[in-house]
Amino acid sequence: MIERIRSASPQFLFGSTILAWFGVLVCLLLFAPPDGKERAELLQFVGRFHSLSVHLPIALLIVVPLIELAGRSRYFPNLLPAVDFLLALAAIGAIGAATLGWCLARSGGFSGRLVTQHMWAGAAVAAIAWTCWFLRTHPASNVQTRFYPLALTFTVGLVFFAGHRGGQLSQGEKYLTEFMPGPLGSLFGASSAGDAPPNSPNGKPGTFFGDRVKPVLAANCVSCHGPGKHKANLRLDNYEAVMRGGKHGPVIMVGDPRSSELFRRITLPSSDRDFMPSEKNPLAAGDINLVQQWIASGASGTLPASDAGANIPAAPTASEVTFPDLDPAAIDKQRASIASLVVQLQQRLPGIIDYESRSSADIVVSAAWMQSRFGDAEVAALAPLADHIVSADFSNTAITDESTRGIAAMKHLRVLRLMHTRIDDAGMQTLSSLADLESLSIFETPVTPSVLLSLARMPKLQHIYVGRTAITPGAKTTDEITHKLIF
Amino acid sequence: MTDFDLSDPLHPERQFAELQAQTRRHFLRSFSGGLGTIFLGAMAAPLFGAIEETNGYTQPLDLKRDPRHPLSVLPPQFTPRAKRVIYLHMAGAPSQLELFDHKPELVRLDGQDCPASLLAGKRFAFITGVPKLLGPQYPFHQVGESGHWISDRLPHLEKHLDELCFVKSMRTDQFNHAPAQLLVQTGNPRLGYPSLGSWVVYGLGSENQNLPGFIVLISGGNMPDGGKQLWGTGFLPSVYQGVQCRSHGEPVLYLESPRDVSREKRRNMLDAIDELNQQNYAAFGNPETVTRIAQYEMSFRMQMDATDAMDIEKEPEVVRTKYGSKIGESSFANNCLVARRLAERGVRFIQLYHWGWDTHGTYATDSLNVGFAKRCLEVDQPIAALLSDLQERGMLEDTLIVWGGEFGRTSMKENRSGQTSQFVGRDHNPGAFTIWLAGGGVKRGHVHGETDDLGYEVVKGPVEIRDLHATILYLLGFDHRKLNYPFQGLDQKLTSVKPSRVVAEILA
Repeated sequence: MIERIRSASPQFLFGSTILAWFGVLVCLLLFAPPDGKERAELLQFVGRFHSLSVHLPIALLIVVPLIELAGRSRYFPNLLPAVDFLLALAAIGAIGAATLGWCLARSGGFSGRLVTQHMWAGAAVAAIAWTCWFLRTHPASNVQTRFYPLALTFTVGLVFFAGHRGGQLSQGEKYLTEFMPGPLGSLFGASSAGDAPPNSPNGKPGTFFGDRVKPVLAANCVSCHGPGKHKANLRLDNYEAVMRGGKHGPVIMVGDPRSSELFRRITLPSSDRDFMPSEKNPLAAGDINLVQQWIASGASGTLPASDAGANIPAAPTASEVTFPDLDPAAIDKQRASIASLVVQLQQRLPGIIDYESRSSADIVVSAAWMQSRFGDAEVAALAPLADHIVSADFSNTAITDESTRGIAAMKHLRVLRLMHTRIDDAGMQTLSSLADLESLSIFETPVTPSVLLSLARMPKLQHIYVGRTAITPGAKTTDEITHKLIF
Repeated sequence: MTDFDLSDPLHPERQFAELQAQTRRHFLRSFSGGLGTIFLGAMAAPLFGAIEETNGYTQPLDLKRDPRHPLSVLPPQFTPRAKRVIYLHMAGAPSQLELFDHKPELVRLDGQDCPASLLAGKRFAFITGVPKLLGPQYPFHQVGESGHWISDRLPHLEKHLDELCFVKSMRTDQFNHAPAQLLVQTGNPRLGYPSLGSWVVYGLGSENQNLPGFIVLISGGNMPDGGKQLWGTGFLPSVYQGVQCRSHGEPVLYLESPRDVSREKRRNMLDAIDELNQQNYAAFGNPETVTRIAQYEMSFRMQMDATDAMDIEKEPEVVRTKYGSKIGESSFANNCLVARRLAERGVRFIQLYHWGWDTHGTYATDSLNVGFAKRCLEVDQPIAALLSDLQERGMLEDTLIVWGGEFGRTSMKENRSGQTSQFVGRDHNPGAFTIWLAGGGVKRGHVHGETDDLGYEVVKGPVEIRDLHATILYLLGFDHRKLNYPFQGLDQKLTSVKPSRVVAEILA
């Protein structure tokens, strides 16, 4: 036996060693496939070299056909002898990379359609690289010479396929097609239909889950927990999968967002190790709220979108604030009808009026600093903007009851400050039509307790600041209004 | 550029001066740089336009204003919770262990040697060797609906405890007063950075056209150690700098016109100066020229309003008694009353400093048993009165009040001389301190964060100074990452380059 090995050619030794190695690899792939569990750190560390090592055989397997073509021209004939060596190297490289790939997939918590396809395609590349080498080095029969170019062409196709699947795994499924120009994109259109059980009533359009929750998960989670890649063996692309959970068990506790792993992770500070979506921006507060609502209301897959929201608890205090994005075009559109008017008034009354914020067409009036230089005439000048004013401070100004009709026309007012003005009971009577008013200061005004009757009619009023008026803590009035008074 | 009268005898001189100001750099910049920029702008912009947006780069807010009105009002980025800030800085760093951070364990361990584990790797300003632990010097009790602990030193403030939002887990990395104060006020321990108030006025402008948008009032007998840089503008145009006002007499020295100079005469003079300044600005475009113009105009208008705003004699007797203020004094009480008057007049950022909290215990005035008690007495009633005044006027809804020092104090007794002394004190502790906020947009009667059993280090919910800054800007309607000023090739911001977070836990 030993004699035979000694007498065997180095070529035979090389070929059979690689073949044996390939056999072992196939056994590993068959009997210990990647299953989404995380394992020994050493194996994972070694596996991380997969994406590095994989590029060598890719380059070689593309360069070989080029050399075969170029070598047949009259310019580069002396390239041809290198091909045997390059193919041997490609075969070792491919099988080595495939082995590392198995290490990564087996230990790094990978599983799913994409992984499986990538894995077998990679193994096939290794096998066919070996075959090419074998055919090239044993040009015994005509059949073999004819098969060699065919095998080489097939190799290149296979390399592209396996490489693309690998790219999708690391960069996201739609990495290549996402920004592909229109017609090309639809040609390759990789629509990712989930593997939901057919005819499942859960998560259909029109349900709260289907219309509201699923898009949130699709936008934030599915690139790692989806049909292509299920990290931690968790898929979030359809209702059944969400409820099934992952390797750590269920991620949704029906009715209890706080004990639901999914909710816990999306509400962690983004610096936390367990934070999701990992290495991405936190979910918007509204989206977090939505997920919470859905879990709290029973995590149903069939609850109609229109019914949800009724018996659902109030918004939680998110652990991270989110900064709203500005859409200048939309805001300009909202402001279109008043923009030139605002500019005019800002020139006439500098420092008095401005938009509430850059993202709104609501107007805030702050006239207090003008003191007695601001009076009824100036309030009248605000009339064209009345509909847009949400907060107005006329404290310490010279306005009189004459202005109250103008103020009453600002029907969206939420905050009104009339501190230390001459507004009296008659004026307040006029103002009682302000249905949106939440906070009112009539500190140090000549109003009397009888004004409380008209204030009681204002539906949204929460705080009434009545210090230094004739209204005293003992004033006779309804209980309802008493607890809103601040002295 | 302005057209000039060629017959004007000053013309050749002016022309010459302008030519002299042209340097080789001007030429290179306006010629080659200009050409290159035009080319690049035309050719490359469409190519790079799309990339800029997808890179996660936060586009700074557009804060451009008409150069003639650098203080004009701009709306915040999103709906604000507070419109103005009153910042009460207790310069010298008051002891959290004698005021708000209740530590029963420290009472038990009073007088024992400090465990080595607390000293390992630590540097102190004065403590050397193995100090003794020092129990709280004043008794604590629970107050109000929220049931929070407070010492007996602030009997007036404790009536408002249910209004306050405490952050007991503040941390800093500076243990000397000046750099620590600079860090609190400018986001950077070194000189040359814009203060919080400057950033706010830069972002929002000033409503009141007759008063500065950022006013500073000082009491306690000394300037804070950080000096006037604490309200400086750093690299922002200096028009956004805080204006220090005196709390009695003329608010700003020489604000009034001299005798026999009428307002009209003053106006004529200013018009002439403005004209010259405008020409200078047209020629050189230096923003500091605009600042100068704006400041002349501001002081002219301040003549009408500032004296009135600062005049606490206009307040009824009962109100002054409430604050414990006495006319003619330079006191924290008077400053609190003035702060309320300024807030009513739309001043955006009102900064008070009260000096004298550096209680090391080396002599009576800087000891916990004497000087500290006196300081507490000086601030307790005025702060309570300020809170109550704002509350009853409805202004606490949109005014944010911040109270705090620049760091905390050690759980150990400082004994600098090594001899037994009748005075006790504590050294500087950057590891933990307490501040509170009240009003616009923060929770009422809430406590955020925790320190260890000795009140020495933060164990839960740490808040860095930059987090506090991000939170204050958030309450005023800003994303701290977008309130930028381009300087030295960087979009500079108050919170600097380390990641900072809005403390969402304290938001109402």
